[in-house]
Amino acid sequence: MLKYLIKRVLWMIPLLIGISLISFFIMHLAPGDITSNESAFNPKASEESRQKLREMYNLDKPVIVQYALWLQRMTTLDFGKSFASHQKPVFWQTTDKDGNVTKGLIQEALPITLTINLLGLAITLLLAIPLGIVAARKHLGWQDRSITLFNFIGFSIPGFWLSLLLMYWLGVVNNWFPISGLHSLNYETLDTWGKIKDTLSHLFLPVVIPSITGLAGITLFVKNGMLDVLHQDYITTARAKGLAEGKVIYKHALRNALLPLITIVGLSIPGLIGGSVIAETIFAIPGMGKLFYDAVLMRDFPVVMGILTIGSALTLIGNLLADVMYAWADPRVRRGVVRG
Amino acid sequence: MSSLIAACGSSEKNSTSVIDLDREFPSESGGSLINAMTGEPSSLISMIAGESASSAISSNVFNTLLRYDKNLELEGDLVESWQISADQKTIRFILKPDLKWADGKPLSSADVLFTWQSVTDEKTASPYASDFQLVKKATVPDARTFEVTYEQAYAPALDSWAGLQILPKHLLQGQDLHTTSFARNPVGSHYYKLDSWAHGENLKLSRNPNSVRGQAKIDQLVSRIIPDNSAQFLELMADNIDYMGLDPIKYSRIIPARPELQQKLALYKELGNSYTYMGFNLKRKPFNDRNVRLAINYAIDKQEIIDGVYLGLGINIASPYKPGTRWSNPDLQPYPYDPQKARALLKQAGFADNDGDGILERDGKPFSFEIITNQNKEREKSAVLIQRRLKEVGIDVKIRAIEWASFISRFIKTGDFDVVVLGWGLGLDPDQYNIWHSSQQAPGQFNFIGYHNSAVDKLLEQGRLELNPDKRQKIYHEFARVLLEDSPIVYLSAGYGLTAIHKRVKGIDNPAPPAGIGHNSEDWFIPQPLRRNEINQ
Repeated sequence: MLKYLIKRVLWMIPLLIGISLISFFIMHLAPGDITSNESAFNPKASEESRQKLREMYNLDKPVIVQYALWLQRMTTLDFGKSFASHQKPVFWQTTDKDGNVTKGLIQEALPITLTINLLGLAITLLLAIPLGIVAARKHLGWQDRSITLFNFIGFSIPGFWLSLLLMYWLGVVNNWFPISGLHSLNYETLDTWGKIKDTLSHLFLPVVIPSITGLAGITLFVKNGMLDVLHQDYITTARAKGLAEGKVIYKHALRNALLPLITIVGLSIPGLIGGSVIAETIFAIPGMGKLFYDAVLMRDFPVVMGILTIGSALTLIGNLLADVMYAWADPRVRRGVVRG
Repeated sequence: MSSLIAACGSSEKNSTSVIDLDREFPSESGGSLINAMTGEPSSLISMIAGESASSAISSNVFNTLLRYDKNLELEGDLVESWQISADQKTIRFILKPDLKWADGKPLSSADVLFTWQSVTDEKTASPYASDFQLVKKATVPDARTFEVTYEQAYAPALDSWAGLQILPKHLLQGQDLHTTSFARNPVGSHYYKLDSWAHGENLKLSRNPNSVRGQAKIDQLVSRIIPDNSAQFLELMADNIDYMGLDPIKYSRIIPARPELQQKLALYKELGNSYTYMGFNLKRKPFNDRNVRLAINYAIDKQEIIDGVYLGLGINIASPYKPGTRWSNPDLQPYPYDPQKARALLKQAGFADNDGDGILERDGKPFSFEIITNQNKEREKSAVLIQRRLKEVGIDVKIRAIEWASFISRFIKTGDFDVVVLGWGLGLDPDQYNIWHSSQQAPGQFNFIGYHNSAVDKLLEQGRLELNPDKRQKIYHEFARVLLEDSPIVYLSAGYGLTAIHKRVKGIDNPAPPAGIGHNSEDWFIPQPLRRNEINQ
């Protein structure tokens, strides 16, 4: 097992280099660089100054040289500095000679996005698993049909539309929840309990809406997994042994039905750090999605590369984790892995 | 700490609704103004940042040597007076006495010199450096005097000094302007100072007790970063922000249709210093032919674009200057919509529909071209209306909207386009050498349509050398006349800037003076009974 793990981890290094190389070149295929932003069209702004910027950021060098420079920095895990946000560090904070700490862009955005996505995933799973089980047990009954209908509606509704509607109803008409942002303007003056309440009320809509719209897929997965399992011989055996229905469902069936879910959750790990651009824009949340989207529009190459690299590393780790979890949950896979 | 606002909380809603918002109130200090901005500034050193979000904040924090008054005439900001030498090459600025930075340190001509040195420094990549690189010599004869000498007389110089925010030498000396933490924690001299900056959320400014221009009325300015326009509008409806820019639909349809919004919001419209145009690639046939350009100009119904795209909230223009200012030539009239004349001109240019497909041809080739524009809804809609009108006179038009960075580097910079629909946002100085002079056609320069007219070149050169406003005015009136006659671009419209401000904010000039409603924002005030609930600390 350990040998297998080491092998898998070592394989990640050439994979990551390959991914970063391809990403770097694709990124440079899009025309333009940081100098083609808003001020590129201000008649007061001269071409010489843009050329100076290009030289400052090595954008005048061939792409392959730029990649080599980037890779060289990456060997020391230096993600570089953003072009577009006054050279803030891309990943983690730095301290200048006067002791001023500048926080990293990803460092600031990641916790926000992670919190929202983890809460969202938890809510989705907490709702989807019971709903899926009920739908499978009462297959084709009214419970199953109403769950399917609910999921279908949730899946079909555009998230941004539902968001705006709920923002209007809960924020404007009824002032129950804040409309956008992460904190109230008087956040600093609140006591600890007030701060928690304030943050939670701001997070409510951004967390709940994607959970509802994302519910359909997972419920269906659980339901189908459950249906498959419920028709297996060993379930019939368990029932024949006279086991209580609850024990049959939750002990014998569920564990097997959830196997595919492990893969899904494993694969959603990289998704946890990538926020939704639309949701973050509408709710004015400075998360990863907005950071990445703006970086692409601004041609802020270090930020784009930083997020892509971290994203692909997490995808690889997520895959590995899913495999390991699978092996842990399913003895058949475990034997195959150990032998291989 | 003075006070902070409670943006949420249900009690505040009722407190203002019982008071008549349209009443007159005596001017008084205090309160907070909350506005929304779509983008976050990258830095508050605007000579480096270059984007409008940055100067929107930094113009409350830093002063310039000169500023524009209500009627767009120059007046002193940090300076008490300025003199221009007889040969028009040297300008001497005398600073006001006893100026101070927000931290209490004196502000002197050394700071001005330092700022000039920084912006022109070899290591600084400021987009706005070029005006200041023309200064041959800058000196500080004494602590209140700053003197610059140009190689030759440079008329836009005064305007450039109205745009350069003066930075404190004692805090920035020896720092790299591109990385210094000062950019996120600035010390200025203007009405406000930065209190806090929550990344991606908001910036809070409070009154600077050492302000060089006296005290503003409103205690605190809060700018919330809300990228989505609909979300901003919901916040405005919920009374969580006081101030936002509107699009024509919100201005003339949504707000007037809702009495509860009309009751609490005051709407303002002001002409901006920008216009939308359709520009021809003059290096390509048949756009090098003036008759063809005129024909297209006559064939486009500009009023239709103003009514259809801007819901009537724009005006027709005939010169590249803001109407009503001294640089705009009042004698010029826009080309009217006249399809008959357009057809006649096209015929004169040798176009005829020989195969009867409704599209004109010349030398066997159909008259067909592509309009490109960036992804801007108003410009795309304008292009669609143009497409229909040109079809009527037998010209086949295709439209392509392209993402901004690609648009600039793939099409504009390479000159690979037929026709563009774009806009110019201009400064207040009439000099447009960079846009129209024939020497400014290299990739990355702004005469990308390839305009070359020696009469215009000459006028633009003269205009740069003439510092007398009245003589300059004549030059630019003539320049605009030649330009209109030559028709290298079709002026589509100048749209109004539209703003909604909560009626709790008083003291705003309506209708807006030439400089816009913001010119006296230091005198805006929020009467005590109309304020949001505030928590005193």
